[in-house]
Amino acid sequence: MKRFLRLSAAVALAALTMTACGFGGKDEASGDGKTLSLLVPSYSNGTKALWEGIIADFQAKHSDITVNLEIQSWDNINDVIRTKVQAKAAPDILNIDAFSGFASDNLLYPAAEVVSPDTLADFQDSFAKNASIDGTMYGLPMIASARTLFYNQELLDKAGVTKPPATWQELYDAAQKIKNLNAGVYGYGMPLGSEEAQAETSLWIFGNGGSWNEGDKITVNNPRNAEAVQFMKRMIDAGLTQPDPGASDRTPMLDVFIQGKIAMAVGLPPTVGQIAQKNPKLKYGTAPIPTKDGQPMTLGVADHLMAFKNDGSKKDAIKTFLDYFFSAEVYKKFVDTEGFLPTTKSGAEALKDKKEIVSFLEVLPGARFYPSTNPRWAATQGAIQSQIGQIGQGKDPKAVLTGIQAKADA
Amino acid sequence: MSEQTRQVPVPTGRSARPAHRELARALPWLLPTLTLILTIVLFPAAYMVWTSSRDVSQAGVDRGPAGLDNYRALLQLPALGRVFGNTVIWVAGVVLVTLLVSLALAQFLNHAFPGRRLVRLAVIVPWAASVVMTSTVFYYALDPFYGIFNQFLVDLGILDAGFGFTRRPVPAFVVSMLVAVFVSLPFTTYTILAGLQMVSDDVIEAARMDGAGAGRIYRTIVLPILRPAIAVAVLINIINVFNSLPILRTMTGSIPGYDADTTTTLIFKYIQQDRQVDLASALSVVNFLIVLAVIGIYLAALRPMRDE
Amino acid sequence: MAAARRSTRRGRRRWLKAAAGALVALVFLAPYLVMLIGSFKRHAEILRIPPTYLPTQWIPSNYATMWSTPETPLPYNLVSTLIISFCGTLLVLAVALPAAYYTAKHRFPGRGVFLLLVLATQMLQPTVLAPGLFRQFLAVGIDDTWLAMILVNAAFNLSFAVWIMHSFFAGLPKEIDEAAMMDGASKLQTLRRVTLPLVWPGIVTAIIFTFVACWNEFAASLVILTTAENQPLSVAITKFVGQYDSAWHYVFAVSIVSIVPVVILFALVEKRLVAGLTAGAVK
Repeated sequence: MKRFLRLSAAVALAALTMTACGFGGKDEASGDGKTLSLLVPSYSNGTKALWEGIIADFQAKHSDITVNLEIQSWDNINDVIRTKVQAKAAPDILNIDAFSGFASDNLLYPAAEVVSPDTLADFQDSFAKNASIDGTMYGLPMIASARTLFYNQELLDKAGVTKPPATWQELYDAAQKIKNLNAGVYGYGMPLGSEEAQAETSLWIFGNGGSWNEGDKITVNNPRNAEAVQFMKRMIDAGLTQPDPGASDRTPMLDVFIQGKIAMAVGLPPTVGQIAQKNPKLKYGTAPIPTKDGQPMTLGVADHLMAFKNDGSKKDAIKTFLDYFFSAEVYKKFVDTEGFLPTTKSGAEALKDKKEIVSFLEVLPGARFYPSTNPRWAATQGAIQSQIGQIGQGKDPKAVLTGIQAKADA
Repeated sequence: MSEQTRQVPVPTGRSARPAHRELARALPWLLPTLTLILTIVLFPAAYMVWTSSRDVSQAGVDRGPAGLDNYRALLQLPALGRVFGNTVIWVAGVVLVTLLVSLALAQFLNHAFPGRRLVRLAVIVPWAASVVMTSTVFYYALDPFYGIFNQFLVDLGILDAGFGFTRRPVPAFVVSMLVAVFVSLPFTTYTILAGLQMVSDDVIEAARMDGAGAGRIYRTIVLPILRPAIAVAVLINIINVFNSLPILRTMTGSIPGYDADTTTTLIFKYIQQDRQVDLASALSVVNFLIVLAVIGIYLAALRPMRDE
Repeated sequence: MAAARRSTRRGRRRWLKAAAGALVALVFLAPYLVMLIGSFKRHAEILRIPPTYLPTQWIPSNYATMWSTPETPLPYNLVSTLIISFCGTLLVLAVALPAAYYTAKHRFPGRGVFLLLVLATQMLQPTVLAPGLFRQFLAVGIDDTWLAMILVNAAFNLSFAVWIMHSFFAGLPKEIDEAAMMDGASKLQTLRRVTLPLVWPGIVTAIIFTFVACWNEFAASLVILTTAENQPLSVAITKFVGQYDSAWHYVFAVSIVSIVPVVILFALVEKRLVAGLTAGAVK
């Protein structure tokens, strides 16, 4: 027994010395209301440096406030934030796409409490409205993107398509001509894989005058939506899209477009930079997204900043930081560097001549948004992402939409 | 467990004290393990069970008790039958194929030949790499457009054009199973290889002298010695393969619907796409009970913890 | 004559086996060769259609630049991973060895229950446990520390280590212990001088198994370690995956680099694993 004690003492000691290396000590955020935690997703490989620069400049001006930055990839940020909320340890400021889930759980400060009236008044009206629930604004629209049709000029020329399609029928015919080339290229890139299927589907549904909601109610399987999805399936069944559209994610699909193997696809502002980087020789153009009747339309998406109430002690520090972030210089640099569209009036003015985003800024006023203020939208979006692609695997559109509706109502 | 039942029926009279004392004597040896498990694992496990009985919002806020609602909701998923079927095929297929290939591979690597050390090192690499990265690189190499494996098959003339291995449920599921076998092979092979070191050459030689054929020697001498190693390897593989998320998540992640899902990837989809942690927790509890039952049956049938 | 022919035949078989071995090695290395080659490509070339087997332009500098990317502080991530894995493995060994030995060599009431309990820890889904773990460490105040991750890794990798070593202890003939005891050695002496060297292959298997599992752990690190410098490679690598574009050349290069230490570890212990019993204690 004695020997055993000696052994266990040795083991315990060993364990202790080993774990000692784990005691790095950590500066616990103290409850002084001056230490802010900021959780953001990574938009590009420059995001981390950009935020670090902004925070360093901010802390130089406000030496009493410390901002702790945490960056996560888009794949992981939802898991991270949910875990923090579950543990009642939400960050003070969060940058993410949808705010409504947090707002409806009463976790967020109303925007008016965490930015100055000047900052608040600077947001463009459509974005401010899209960031409000029942007239109260919770999200701070931070960056926006819009979609537009990218087309491969060379392929369209070769196929004898003289102008980019404006209606569904023209798109169908153009894609058919591309297919008839028999050149191993595809007419239209339709990404219905789980990455962003809701965006592609929304474009078709909005392009048919359809909608995901009527007032507070999520309505996935209404007749207009069904008609739009039916047409998508027609394109797929006729072989006018890339193979297996139901399982094609957007990013890889756009890579195929960039490599010149897809004639037409819907892209977004960062696509311009990616073409320049990966295949600068590509001859391409952009045009409004085809709709059923040719009426121009685009999908607008805004990401938001939001402030969590937590224990309520940090409101002033949060306000100082957010006002700093949305000040003209700082904000312009952020939006400009990430290559997105501004959501503020001053930002739009400052960037109106940037040629990469001009074509997007033009379509932005007519943009339609996801019903992201609806608390059921997040679940609906998840269901669209995981289900809609089944129309590419022979499933009946009506049945797929009904399945999504069931998830939305769950 | 069966050992325990053998012990239990003697709690009367004087034999009760030795049993008690035996336990007391064992405890110090087990205490470090028990302490670590109780302090680290107990709470999160209990928290999972607790969450499965709560109504948790998509943001993560607890809205109050939900009784068994989450479990009831599970039963209403139409795809449940397919998912359970997939799970059975997934676990049984991967574990069996892994075992058979490993037995052959370990036997081969036990022979002396030039460069054996390097081959052994090569076999270990899939184990050293993270499963996520291995799956990712397979996914990339099997892409119908820019995938190098696909291009290789086209250049060999086996395919006319790149095939969407990862784009349709059945091929993607089969490919995922192959990847799962691939990443399970190193550990299994090495466990068996280590077991093979316990086979004494003298015994084999003696058997050969007696005129026993290679097949018979393997069956009657080698396999019995390998038994504990195989039993543990299979046990660990069952658990790991059952709980494996990254392979299917990567290889079949872009495929819509639930045709290529196991119960484990379904948990993940509940969290990631439906944002229903409560439901995911309920399914995790069910998942846990299923593995526990499978392992219980396995242990009862094979009794790998039998001594000697 | 006959002997010579036999020896050339044996020689030919040796080389045939070597050729088969090379084929096996190629199969096992194939995906990592894709990774390796990809890590030398330019960013733009990785997604070219049709793909190139070899880079048109070799960029070895990916391996230099990846240490100072804007996405993640990779040197810190490597150190972090090393410390967590190393300490985690040591802790597992210290804790699991006595349990494995005792359960293999002694019968006592509750032994089966104990082994099953240990095993049950491995049947839980890490993704779903992560919230509870985070909460637990937050309450104790050691979230975002290496200590937390060392404990997590140790606790969740304990079971396989116990089971692997248990099976090797159990596989030992009882006569060896008894002979040593009869020579007057105490239980601990027997354990240290006789039993441990004999089960060395099992211990090595357990070490590798644990180390690799610690090395690649992801789900818990993701939520428990929030500071970029503390995060292990498995989390760091995800930072190269952007919203619209991913730095695949870095993803591949970092993956290759993260495989290397484990392969080195393996190369170090492999000989002992193989030598094992043949070194000759069993007589």
